[in-house]
Amino acid sequence: MSFVEEPVGEKLSAHAPTLDLDEIQAIVLRPRPAPYFGTHVLLRVDNAQAGRAFLRRLAPHIASSANWWNAPHTWLAVGLTYTGLEALGVPKESLQSFPEAFRQGMAARARQLGDEGVNNPKNWGKPYGTGQVHIGVSAFSDSEEKHQRALAIAREQYEGFSGVSALALQHFGAQPSDRNSLGYKDGIDQPPIEGSGVDPLPGQGRPIKAGEFILGYPGEAGVPLPMPQPDILGRNGIYVGYRKYQSRVGAFNRFLHANGSTEEERELIAAKLVGRWRSGAPLTLAPDVDNPALGADPKRNNDFNYANDPNGRQVPFGAHIRRMNPRDTQLSRLTDVNLHRLLRRGSTYGLPYDPNALSEADDEVPRGAIFLFMSAKAMATIEFLQQEWINDGDFIGAGNERDPIIGRQEEAATFTIPREPVRRRLHGIETFNVLKGGEYFFLPSLSALNWLGNLSG
Amino acid sequence: MATQTLTKPKQDQSVEQKLQRLRELYADAPEIGQAALKNGLSMLTQELAAPGRALTAGRIGARQGKVSELTVFLPFVKGGAMRLRGFLQLLEGNFRAADAVGTVHDMRFVFVDNDTKLLFATAYDGDFDPYIEDFAAKIPNAMDLWLCNFEGYPGMRNPKAAADWIAKHQIAAEAWYVNSPNLTAAETRRLEKIGQAVEELLDKVG
Repeated sequence: MSFVEEPVGEKLSAHAPTLDLDEIQAIVLRPRPAPYFGTHVLLRVDNAQAGRAFLRRLAPHIASSANWWNAPHTWLAVGLTYTGLEALGVPKESLQSFPEAFRQGMAARARQLGDEGVNNPKNWGKPYGTGQVHIGVSAFSDSEEKHQRALAIAREQYEGFSGVSALALQHFGAQPSDRNSLGYKDGIDQPPIEGSGVDPLPGQGRPIKAGEFILGYPGEAGVPLPMPQPDILGRNGIYVGYRKYQSRVGAFNRFLHANGSTEEERELIAAKLVGRWRSGAPLTLAPDVDNPALGADPKRNNDFNYANDPNGRQVPFGAHIRRMNPRDTQLSRLTDVNLHRLLRRGSTYGLPYDPNALSEADDEVPRGAIFLFMSAKAMATIEFLQQEWINDGDFIGAGNERDPIIGRQEEAATFTIPREPVRRRLHGIETFNVLKGGEYFFLPSLSALNWLGNLSG
Repeated sequence: MATQTLTKPKQDQSVEQKLQRLRELYADAPEIGQAALKNGLSMLTQELAAPGRALTAGRIGARQGKVSELTVFLPFVKGGAMRLRGFLQLLEGNFRAADAVGTVHDMRFVFVDNDTKLLFATAYDGDFDPYIEDFAAKIPNAMDLWLCNFEGYPGMRNPKAAADWIAKHQIAAEAWYVNSPNLTAAETRRLEKIGQAVEELLDKVG
């Protein structure tokens, strides 16, 4: 552990942690720093020995989740794709023990993910989906200076060595007020994990069994989920779906202008699409006007359910946060909401959101978000979310409508805002975030990292 | 729901090629069939020219639009047929668990081969696998109560194994027709409600 800094100051639970925190990578439990700065480095392994040597050099710098509630704001994380595990010479039986979707890779799962049309892997930027991304290293920090120091440590482990090459360095972060590329405060609602050592924030709900997120622990059904073999490789690991979106800020703003003639009207529509004002204040608690103080308060900004909003008058059924976590909404399909949650580490890249960007040229400016979706079954959950909760609306009574923020829209898409006496239907919803690349990674525990670095053959 | 792939991507075949193939297939058909092919040619030409609508439902089964089929032949354990028949008779057509699932259009339970097997066939929305864990969490008893009557059923406490067991016994339909392929069970109920509301409104106006 190379970094010693000030603590994040989370409240320690009366319940001692029951997870092997010093084995689990820091990114799994430490919240995203605020503000945040970072880089995702994508690497290719050309030679198994060189790849393992790289992992051995890197391993001492990968932070664990030990004391995560009181740990530094800077860390390095490392993940491996299936082709990466192959390139490292992982034994065949181990390779076969990974789930099919992980083995195939995100690009090959386009059908299950609904990554078609503009989101088709054919349209992705290099090196995503080529099978050449073998290792991903992410540096997160709360200052640019410390981020550069962490990144330099990562680079020192591969630069000047043959057999491992960097394919891309994707910088992110440093947006004003930590807003995302469409101008919203994000990353607010995270699932609470049982045994992680801190109490859930108000509104987070009951802690979910750790095995839903981290391999090797009992899940909601009481038994651990299937885990890569041998045990030392799988235990305390987690899968990550990495999805890079480009925000079509011009199209988003044009949509707001077409449907709202004043700033107030546009901001209300922007809030209805997401279920929160851009400040993060939930519409459920601030239905008519924004409340930035509420949005900024982690003890209050997630403390709500939909019991008093069964008709979607405050938060439309199709709103982004109601889809991604329906909480107590009556769904039209038998669903256990706790089985479909993901830990998210979002990272915004490129220019900040510009409310005055209205042109089609503005749609092509490289800026957007890279999401890291993490769980013990991230592939299955992402496929479920893409099919059921993002690119459909049937499950929540929104018919054929799709998620207005991250859905892939078809022609003549609409967004319905329930209202008295009649609903308002907005036309002209477009695909506001276009998928530009994605990969599935496995984030091994620190012991597994050493196991991988010391493979023979 | 949005994932759609053609099961047989032979769209490059022209109508002429398809008709030619059909003639070959029916060359040694009974006379009735040969005559029907000749007389029905104009309608067939239209069908063969239309774009394909056959999709797959996840790992196995056929799908049209949003509606999938699941057909399984399940071998009864000893005494299983009698138990299930008795159970189904007591239910008198009430299937609360299926109502709760929300994606099931219909179910039929057919006892075949001298009560040694059940032919179970259902139409449902979407893919089967994504919701198996939800079934396990929400209605394990309803599932176990009827599936315990079959050989090798691992129980809903092991949802992955239960899904694999069902898939193992599944026979994909060679062809599958759905009248309203985009109407899910949930959408049908939603439209019923809207229809009722409209009628009430019209009643007030009229």
